[in-house]
Amino acid sequence: MRVLGWRAVVVFALLAALPLVPGMSRYYLLLAFDALLFGAIAMSLDLLMGYTGLVSFGHAAFYGLGAYATAILLERGVQSVWACLAFAVVVVGLYALVVAYFATARRGIYFALLTLIFAEVVYTFFRYTQTFGGSDGIQGLPDATILPGVPLDTPLKKYYLVFVYLLAAYAVCRVVVASHFGRVLVAIRENEDRARFLGYNVARYKMGACMISAILTGIGGGIYPMRSAFATPDLMLWTESGEFIISVMIGGLGTLVGPVVGGVFFTLLRDKVSSFVDWYFIVIGLVLVVIVLFMPRGLLGYRKVLGFSQWRASG
Amino acid sequence: MILEVDAVSKRFGALAALTRVSFAVAPGQVFSVIGPNGAGKSTLFNVVAGHYTPEAGRVHFDGDDVTGVPPERLNRRGLAKTFQITNVFPEISVADNVRVAAQSRAPESGRLASLWRRTEVDHLTRPLLEAFGLAGRREALARDLSHGEQRYLEICLALATAPKLLLLDEPTAGMTPGETREATALIRAIALERGLTVLLIEHDMSVVMGISDRVAVLHFGEKIAEGTPEQIRNDPKVIDAYLGGADD
Repeated sequence: MRVLGWRAVVVFALLAALPLVPGMSRYYLLLAFDALLFGAIAMSLDLLMGYTGLVSFGHAAFYGLGAYATAILLERGVQSVWACLAFAVVVVGLYALVVAYFATARRGIYFALLTLIFAEVVYTFFRYTQTFGGSDGIQGLPDATILPGVPLDTPLKKYYLVFVYLLAAYAVCRVVVASHFGRVLVAIRENEDRARFLGYNVARYKMGACMISAILTGIGGGIYPMRSAFATPDLMLWTESGEFIISVMIGGLGTLVGPVVGGVFFTLLRDKVSSFVDWYFIVIGLVLVVIVLFMPRGLLGYRKVLGFSQWRASG
Repeated sequence: MILEVDAVSKRFGALAALTRVSFAVAPGQVFSVIGPNGAGKSTLFNVVAGHYTPEAGRVHFDGDDVTGVPPERLNRRGLAKTFQITNVFPEISVADNVRVAAQSRAPESGRLASLWRRTEVDHLTRPLLEAFGLAGRREALARDLSHGEQRYLEICLALATAPKLLLLDEPTAGMTPGETREATALIRAIALERGLTVLLIEHDMSVVMGISDRVAVLHFGEKIAEGTPEQIRNDPKVIDAYLGGADD
């Protein structure tokens, strides 16, 4: 409770009660699933973008690799949700270690480009080799099981899985940004060179932030096939990374909550507009332009876009 | 000797920025390096602070050879520096600026536990902010401070890492004469109180004369004189370097 703060507790309580809303159909539960999943991933990216000042254009690869990790196990008859997610953590963690090691050696646009290039390599491998089904990916997966004999088979159960994931990811991000480590991340965002002269091994902190962000994203990816029953290379496409970035921007950099709101907003907007018109991306684009022009700090931009706001009270 | 610079040379292409510069600083001293603009002061400073590796010569700090040791490791050994151009964390509060510096010396720094532990450092940062008159501005964003306040915050950041040796690069740059007098008196008082050794780089002679125990003079990358402020003031080579030669 203390980690989350009372406002977050209220919001999570409301989210937990969401399935009780009358008329909450299967369709809307799964839409809520998508929205919260997208929000949680945008939040994980915010740890990197908003707090550390590193823009990753390769988060789709963490997401997609997590999805493939689950799909590969489900396809081979390993159905435990927890085994799948643990495997996703290992796979994404190893890949992220390599990406983070090389990408954090460079700054600014070069960091963004390196993450993008790594992600494109992974995409190309999954898309153009037949190792994991090529462009079709892995389809027709069975339901995962929460415990032996308890299948994750209804939209309601799936919704609660994503709810728990969001809650856990939020708690992790909150603790990290309020910690000793989180303070250093903000210092790096503000002035990397000065942080070095204060005795911080900046590269190690940046790698740490990348790893945490990547692994949280990978777990989100690992959850996705448990709802969709497939994993395809398109999950790793750079446009997916772009959508994560957009969600962070819409919501408000460096706020954690903002990107969740941004991700939910983006998902709902896409769902609503795309059910009316085929050229829905034009509408979404216009909405985003308006937001960026008139609310440059995002939907939650009225709050201070600062890393340590909660520290201030203690000082 | 807490700091020994031994025959250090550094070139940038054809320019010999430093040629066999040597000096030694005793613990507790305020040691100043002066010289006209372009004399190599900043290069020397960056060599000592770990930013540049010299082509020749060694730097010893606190008994260890630290030549080419990167700045974050030098800082953890007890050497902190301030920057000539104010170099703080602009978008966070003054208090948070100093906190992130002060927590650098905490036991969990650089360890896994730093991921979940908050380091309480306000007992360290409060006296610093008070000493520099920034206590009333603790909640202001660093970028909103006046120039003089930012210069003080700059020094606070370095002091918060609890150094044995403090390197100050033209700490009074851009200050009015009144502010400069106040700042030099404050630096002297804090160095005494904390038993700090100070290496001060300055081009303004009037700043160093009042507070230095020893002064070295650089000119075109070479040390042309070293001694007490009194000896330096009367050294003909120094007078010549400042009044003739490179223009200041």
